[in-house]
Amino acid sequence: MTALLFILTLAFWLIGREIDKSIEQGKEHKSSILTTLSVVVGIGALFYFKYLNFFIGSFVAAANIVGIHISWTAAHIIVPIGLSFFTFKLMSYPLDIYHGKISHDQNFFDFANYIAFFPTILSGPIDRPKPFLKQLKQSRLFNSDNLMVGFRRILWGMFLKMCIADRMDLYVSAVWNNYEHHSAISIVYASLLYPLQMYADFSGYSEMAIGVSLMLGFKVAENFKRPFFTINIANYWSRWHMSLTSWLTDYVFMPLNIKLRDWGTNGTIAAIMLNMTFIGMWHGADWTFFLFGIYHGLWYIPLMLNGQFFKKTKIKLNSHGWPTYPFVLKMIGNYLVVTFGLILFHSSDIIEFWSVICRIPEAWNGSFFFDMPTLVNAALCSIALIYVDIQEEWFPNKKLYLPKRAETWRWELTVALEIVAILLFGIFDNNQFIYFQF
Amino acid sequence: MKKLLVHIVIVASLFFVFDRALGLGLKYMYVRSNATDEYKISYSNETTRDSILFFGSSRCLHHYVPAIFEKELGIGCYNVADWGIKNIYYHYGLLGNILSRYTPKTIIFEIHPCDWLNTPFSGKERATSLAPYCGMSKACDDMLKLSGQYWPYQLSMVYRYSGSLPSLITGKYGSMDRSLKGWKPLEGIIDTMGIKAEEYPFPIDRERVKILEQFILVCQQHHIQLIFIESPMYVCSKQDVFKFPHDLAGKHQIPFLDHYHDSDFVGHPEYFYDFGHFNKKGAEKYSEKIAHELKHIIGSPIQ
Repeated sequence: MTALLFILTLAFWLIGREIDKSIEQGKEHKSSILTTLSVVVGIGALFYFKYLNFFIGSFVAAANIVGIHISWTAAHIIVPIGLSFFTFKLMSYPLDIYHGKISHDQNFFDFANYIAFFPTILSGPIDRPKPFLKQLKQSRLFNSDNLMVGFRRILWGMFLKMCIADRMDLYVSAVWNNYEHHSAISIVYASLLYPLQMYADFSGYSEMAIGVSLMLGFKVAENFKRPFFTINIANYWSRWHMSLTSWLTDYVFMPLNIKLRDWGTNGTIAAIMLNMTFIGMWHGADWTFFLFGIYHGLWYIPLMLNGQFFKKTKIKLNSHGWPTYPFVLKMIGNYLVVTFGLILFHSSDIIEFWSVICRIPEAWNGSFFFDMPTLVNAALCSIALIYVDIQEEWFPNKKLYLPKRAETWRWELTVALEIVAILLFGIFDNNQFIYFQF
Repeated sequence: MKKLLVHIVIVASLFFVFDRALGLGLKYMYVRSNATDEYKISYSNETTRDSILFFGSSRCLHHYVPAIFEKELGIGCYNVADWGIKNIYYHYGLLGNILSRYTPKTIIFEIHPCDWLNTPFSGKERATSLAPYCGMSKACDDMLKLSGQYWPYQLSMVYRYSGSLPSLITGKYGSMDRSLKGWKPLEGIIDTMGIKAEEYPFPIDRERVKILEQFILVCQQHHIQLIFIESPMYVCSKQDVFKFPHDLAGKHQIPFLDHYHDSDFVGHPEYFYDFGHFNKKGAEKYSEKIAHELKHIIGSPIQ
């Protein structure tokens, strides 16, 4: 992986240099070709390592269906860890130079540092070159505030991962891995928990990555902004894995939308569908991810048709500052939409997805699998997460009241309590992060 | 920098206070729990003073009815076994804790392949069930050290009860029947469809064997009569699974009541809850049989 990372980093740095030179010399055509080349190299690396077997396998399967029998053995390709993340970072460099957002960085080591920055290389956030490279040029002095805030974010990330995501995983995996033996109510309940598990898992990782970066003196992109407090799928994607969605919006959706603008609304819908398919397939080489993207794309169509897509809908709040009843219902509805999509996401293939869906009406009479310690531990910790998210979303200025003398110790109290909570509720068995597989 | 150090010292002090206060509260709830698991472990470690103790994992827990043994032998018995494929790491730590309070006369040890084989599903981590008793005896601490959790348990009292808060809160309302003296009966009859013998294709684990021998040695040093026992399964393995403990028993002159192939039980679904565990009826019948056999062994000098 290190060799591949080095070769790609060097290649993109050199391409970036050439694009910059071409722009300076006014050679528009050359810079355009070089930018296209960089995209081809980036997509090519992704395609070879991640999608080659999938596409050949799908082609062979399709050929077999129409009666052409092709014998084929999948190539043994090891996917480098973090590939989907660092190739996107690599590609944004020449693209940003080409679009005049940045100029080429003469220092290769700074560029390599941006690509291989260890807290974010495995699972993001997918940082953009401009803010990161700018920080590399600035002098970084020891800053105890960064250290303290960073450390708290690491602890919060650990809490999300170890106390919520891994706890829920015990239940979700127990049900999903044996769905044939579980009742409909258990399957539905596990499915409803899964979005929350994903959120705790991935945002937990992001919190840790952001916290470690901050302790080292770097501010990296935020990745989540309370995604379940949204009322439609467009809002949801603007707050879920934000560094990926904003990347795809800037480099895929916007150019496509401009290219297809002659088609009017249909062009925007086509751009959205393609963009969402990219998001789906970015997660993995399987038809379930393809359908996951299509499924989300389809939910954009009504938003496009009724004009809500480009409109920023503000959630109405009552006199106490809480969202009003119709908006709460819309949030619940949106959560259910996301949940259904994640059943696809979680399934190992379409057959499993279909079997799970078919199992639900078949098994209504079965009993609920109640794993008391797991569910209660997860519920207690989820209350903390929901409390924090509600406070940040609707009551950002209202902090939990502390006596005046204790107020000066807020950081210390929070950190000490978080450590105790992790020790009390956490799971310490080295569970992998869900997004490491991407 | 000085400011940061002050913050760190305050966090460490607050953590120490929170951890100890909550840890003591959790310990209080743990020892007062009526839920099976917590009650069984705390009673076995802290309270039992019976002369005969049954050691082992779930097969022991469900198979030996102390009331039947007490009636037949006229001596106090307690079943200290615990479910969850407990192995020698746990048994040795538990023995150490019990010996720190008193010395039983006889230990009947339902030996299981995970006590001497390198079974991937049951390893050193089984000792962590003794986490609340960290510091109670050297043997317990040694096992926790092997599990890699001794120092975390020393640093944090709360960590000893990690994940168990809901069980501890509801533990007071548990329904452990204390008159069963540690035995846990199972109700129901095995579904014999597709039942196969359990095989153990694992190598001998030198570390477990060493601890097993230490277990034997400690019993000998304390003049505890140790008896190995093996109860039947619904279907038996064709391998000579128990050759190793037979050899070990022979080497240390320990009686070994091997009922693994006992035809009174093997293949009789009416006595089994699942392939490896008796139901209540099976456990009672088996206990009567063993109690009768033990009558001739218990109290006699170690052979």
